[in-house]
Amino acid sequence: MSSTQSSTPLLSPQLLAQLERLELVSRKIFRGRMKGERRSKRKGQSVEFADFRNYVSGDDIRFIDWNLYARLDKLFLKLFLEEEDLHFYALIDTSTSMDFGDPTKLHYAKQLAAALGFIGLCRADRVKIEALGASRKNPAPALRGRSSMWRMLDYLNSIEPGDNIPLAQGVKDFCLRNSGQGILVLITDLMDKNGYESALRFLLAQNIDVYVIHVLSQAEIEPEVSGDLRLVDCEDADIAEITVSRPLLNRYKQTLATFIDGAREFCTRRGMSYLMTSTETPVEQLVSNYLRQRGLVR
Amino acid sequence: MNFISALTTFQWLLLAAVPPAIISLYFLKLKRHPVEVPSTYLWTRTIEDLHVNSIWQRLRQSLLLFLQLLVLLLAILACLRPGWRGTNLIGDRFIFMIDTSASMSATDVGPSRLEAAKKHALGLIEQMESSDVAMVISFSDVPRIEQAFTNNRSALRQAVNKTSQTNRRTNISEALRHASGLANPGRTSQAGTSDVQVADALPATMYIISDGGVPAVPDFAPGNLTARYVKIGTASPKNVGIVAFSTQRNPEKPGQLQAFARLENSGAEDVEVEVALYLNGGLVDASSENVPTDAAQGVSFVLNDINSAILKLEVQYKDDMSLDNTAFATINTPRRARVLVVTPGNDALKFAITTEATARVADVAFADPATLDTKEHETLALSGAYDLIVYDRCTPKVMPEANTLFIGRVPPADGWSAEEPKPSPLIIDIDRLHPLMHLVELGSILIYDSLPLKGPEGATSLIDADNGSLLMIAPRKGFEDVALAFELVGEYPDGDVNAKTNWPRRKSFPVFVMNAVRYLGGARASLDVQGSQPGQPVKLRTEAPTDQITVESPTRVRTQVQREGQNLFVFSRAEELGVYTVREGSEREAGQHFAINLFDSRESDLVPREVIDIPYFDEKTEQVGLRASLAEPSRKEMWKLLLIVGLLVLVFEWYVYNRRVYL
Repeated sequence: MSSTQSSTPLLSPQLLAQLERLELVSRKIFRGRMKGERRSKRKGQSVEFADFRNYVSGDDIRFIDWNLYARLDKLFLKLFLEEEDLHFYALIDTSTSMDFGDPTKLHYAKQLAAALGFIGLCRADRVKIEALGASRKNPAPALRGRSSMWRMLDYLNSIEPGDNIPLAQGVKDFCLRNSGQGILVLITDLMDKNGYESALRFLLAQNIDVYVIHVLSQAEIEPEVSGDLRLVDCEDADIAEITVSRPLLNRYKQTLATFIDGAREFCTRRGMSYLMTSTETPVEQLVSNYLRQRGLVR
Repeated sequence: MNFISALTTFQWLLLAAVPPAIISLYFLKLKRHPVEVPSTYLWTRTIEDLHVNSIWQRLRQSLLLFLQLLVLLLAILACLRPGWRGTNLIGDRFIFMIDTSASMSATDVGPSRLEAAKKHALGLIEQMESSDVAMVISFSDVPRIEQAFTNNRSALRQAVNKTSQTNRRTNISEALRHASGLANPGRTSQAGTSDVQVADALPATMYIISDGGVPAVPDFAPGNLTARYVKIGTASPKNVGIVAFSTQRNPEKPGQLQAFARLENSGAEDVEVEVALYLNGGLVDASSENVPTDAAQGVSFVLNDINSAILKLEVQYKDDMSLDNTAFATINTPRRARVLVVTPGNDALKFAITTEATARVADVAFADPATLDTKEHETLALSGAYDLIVYDRCTPKVMPEANTLFIGRVPPADGWSAEEPKPSPLIIDIDRLHPLMHLVELGSILIYDSLPLKGPEGATSLIDADNGSLLMIAPRKGFEDVALAFELVGEYPDGDVNAKTNWPRRKSFPVFVMNAVRYLGGARASLDVQGSQPGQPVKLRTEAPTDQITVESPTRVRTQVQREGQNLFVFSRAEELGVYTVREGSEREAGQHFAINLFDSRESDLVPREVIDIPYFDEKTEQVGLRASLAEPSRKEMWKLLLIVGLLVLVFEWYVYNRRVYL
């Protein structure tokens, strides 16, 4: 458990400079509430030409290409790309188990949320970062515009670990309060003894573009333990007695691999993007490489 | 399989308490170190299936316990000293007698019978309890105490291991006397009292480890001694050995030399062998001989007369003993005998002793009886200047350092005496086997009178007559004195000096004189020097007077031998078989050679005997004679193997503990 991580800045100036060039991408077509800086798949009113189509009665005659009519003697409608905004949600698991690792998984989650949120703010998207289960005491602000970065960072810094509510409960709360479409990035370690499946199903019902970022500390991927141990669960004080041996460690790694594969398969089958990352992987690398490959940013 | 406990009862009780202690330690709850983790979710799932069959899991995880118990079990087994085919030793005092005679070099049991005997003895020593005492005696024709009574087993093992092979014959009687003396302390008798035992009788068990080829021992009282005979050797070994080899000049054809050998086959089958004769290393003759089983075969070779040579006879046949496949004979340059004849005048004797034949082997000088009183003669006679002095009708004041032949007089030495002359003796018997009487026929010999001779202790009569011995021979300090009881020429009662016997007119007289010159003059020794057997002392004489000689063995070991008597050297280290070279004084050239050969039918007969012929009453068989104990090979112990396995298990446990490898 490390508290020193909170003192390090969530976003470094170099990272900020790097992030400014990126934008969030949604694989689904959503109707934004406001005109944003985002080119929508919808055709609409902007200066950027997209296509022609035949005129049908009832179309706005202001968009008829009169030059073309003069040449071809046919009515064509000029279509322009619509620019719109995007709703970006980042949902951070703040259970006690997230407060492990060096840096802690929670700190890593905050960094990641801040980076993605900053990208959204730069592109005038609607950004909402929320801690699971924290909505009642510390409701998350909906942010827009680059100037809101400090508010976002303040909110992130105010998030503390310790809200040990089940993952499903937290997600359900979020879904009830946020019905809008957009991109949702769930940053969690998925370590819920009730299972993560029901939680993800709530998100599925939202028709939202879901990214599950599975954060694990290095100590969970490669446990460095030895001897006869009594493992105490920091959330529910559950006890597991083990005698560490090479085969046991191999078996643990097998279990972990099965767990990761299970989560990946569950997400992939349901059209969600799944990405497992270790706290050892720098956030810059994660955002600029892995998330780019996954299509969350470009 | 049987066990010998290596621990006392108390130690066993202590050892028995260890396994329960180890098991109870394992049942104590393991104190685990608490560690806080983010979630036990994955760990629980990891160890979930391990809990499915928890009893098996517990057993599996107790591999260390099993290994520790296994190590302990092996240690306990090792303490029990399990072994096979061993027999219990009888009693608590043992005498291990190991045969080291020539026949024990046979290789019918590998690597040799002696090695097998040693191995057996070591096996018996292994079976000894810590309080038992034992001694080790090795014997050939003489016993040797390798280790006196001790309970130090490593000293006993060392003594057995250092027992070495000899080329000697077997004679167990001395060894038995040693063993018996220790088990049956002597008794003392004092006038007027009954026998008093000087020490407690110490019963002991004697293990004779041998092939049984020992001569009978008629006078042995085992007393407190229990005897066991451990027979070494296979039932049907094969061996063809040379048991005799000698050379002789052909008496009928001068200039020819004959070599005789005798081969014996102790194997179970008739064999055809090649016999090769080498002269100074070069092959001169060979023959193929068929030697029937359990029988002997004579072989002879004819050679041209040789002055000096080393003859080697070799049987080319691969058998179980190689020692008796080669025999040597030596022919030394004939040493001319120095003979002095002291006579007042005797034409017959002079005629017989100055023949061409005697001139070839001897230098004969004549002297008057008056010279016996001169100082010069005394000095010469006492310095060994003569080999033979013939006293015809005279006697010296002091017996000379030489062989003597007295004619018609009694030697003035201790033990010799004669009665008054008796007339006309009639010859009854002649000892034809004696070299002096070789080819001497005494039929129709007339003798005027004779002195009935009485010789000293050890004297042998060569011619017996009706009124006493006519010719006697007796030893004296390495010399021999011969007395002829009648005069050849003498004075009759009427004062007439004339022949007193007609013997000089017979052919046998010059033959006798020649025999005397050869035998007493030492000329005989020039051909085939005393072929001795290993371990026997060899008497050597030199050409010229010297104080020491050097004897070089077949393996080039040189030994200085100091003079013992007048011109007599006794070499007692003839242990090796082969030809020895003698150098006189500081001479570099080899003076003479002599050969040491095994020549023993008993040693060459390799078939192990079932019974050793000693007066021992065997209670089991109720027969006299020591029979081979059945099935009594040495004990094979496995405690070393157990300890090694235990050590390996311990290493494996260490590996498991460190690597935490569970099956």
